[in-house]
Amino acid sequence: MAMINQEVVLKNAWITHSQFMDIVAISQMTPGPIAINAATFIGYQKGGFLGSVISTLGVIFPSLIVMTLITITYIKLKNQPWFKNIFRKLRLLSLGLIAAAFIMIAGDAFRDLFSVLVFTASFIASWKFKLNPFYLLIGAAVIGIALG
Amino acid sequence: MKMILKIFITFFKIGAFTIGGAYAMIPLIKREVCQKNNWLTEDEFLDGLSAAQSCPGPIAINLSIYIGFHLAKGKGLATAVLATILPSFITILIIAILFQQFAEATLVQKAFHSLRPAVVALIAVPLIQMSRQSGLTLSSFWFPLSVAVLVGFLRISPVYLILITIAFAVYQGLKKQK
Repeated sequence: MAMINQEVVLKNAWITHSQFMDIVAISQMTPGPIAINAATFIGYQKGGFLGSVISTLGVIFPSLIVMTLITITYIKLKNQPWFKNIFRKLRLLSLGLIAAAFIMIAGDAFRDLFSVLVFTASFIASWKFKLNPFYLLIGAAVIGIALG
Repeated sequence: MKMILKIFITFFKIGAFTIGGAYAMIPLIKREVCQKNNWLTEDEFLDGLSAAQSCPGPIAINLSIYIGFHLAKGKGLATAVLATILPSFITILIIAILFQQFAEATLVQKAFHSLRPAVVALIAVPLIQMSRQSGLTLSSFWFPLSVAVLVGFLRISPVYLILITIAFAVYQGLKKQK
């Protein structure tokens, strides 16, 4: 997010800072990672439909290259002990990154009493009753509209 | 052809519901990929997840590349990525066209007042489950914990940690071979 702000708002001045904050907020509410959402949105603003297509393809380009290479390498080398070791370490790191993501948004869960209740209910629904996240989110949205 | 269609539908579903980030969807993706369709083993999935987080780009995209390629090489990859992007691309395009009206709709604000804490819970649950499954011992616990603190609180870029981890793992591997 910081990088998107740097490039788009500061370096290229394609949108203003407050427009950027709006995009971030909208991105929280819509499907898709923020990078894709920001690319599609700004691409459209600056270059219409073609702009949005090009930006979106552009933002996934590095992923396509790096991830494809890693996947091919993985399939070839996955039984090598030294390669397996890398992934053993990466799994632990990955756990830490998920925890970091949780830490960064944990504030949202405790903003007010309503949020705390929804958080608790969602946690129990998912943990104890293994409620499918699809339905859980739909349910949460309905509750928000009904009781928010 | 049937496989390609299945890939498209599965990833379109996944793409459509990754609201507020892919993390909350991970158990669902795991369920679809490992249990429902038997496409990957759990180990392969977890490795893919780790790789997806360590590579540049959104996790959802990286995961779709990994899984798509495993299933049907280039075609699978392209289908999975396209299907993942499509829901958000279409949604954002519509919003970009109607910008102001969307953000201020009270209905939407109300929905999201509830969605945000729900998403937090959806990240907490798999986090705990995965911690148990990863066989975290007292001695290895410090690693993910320090990563969480460094990235979550100190906002250090994960990129450095990823590179250090890989370098260390490779070094360790080479040392053992001697």
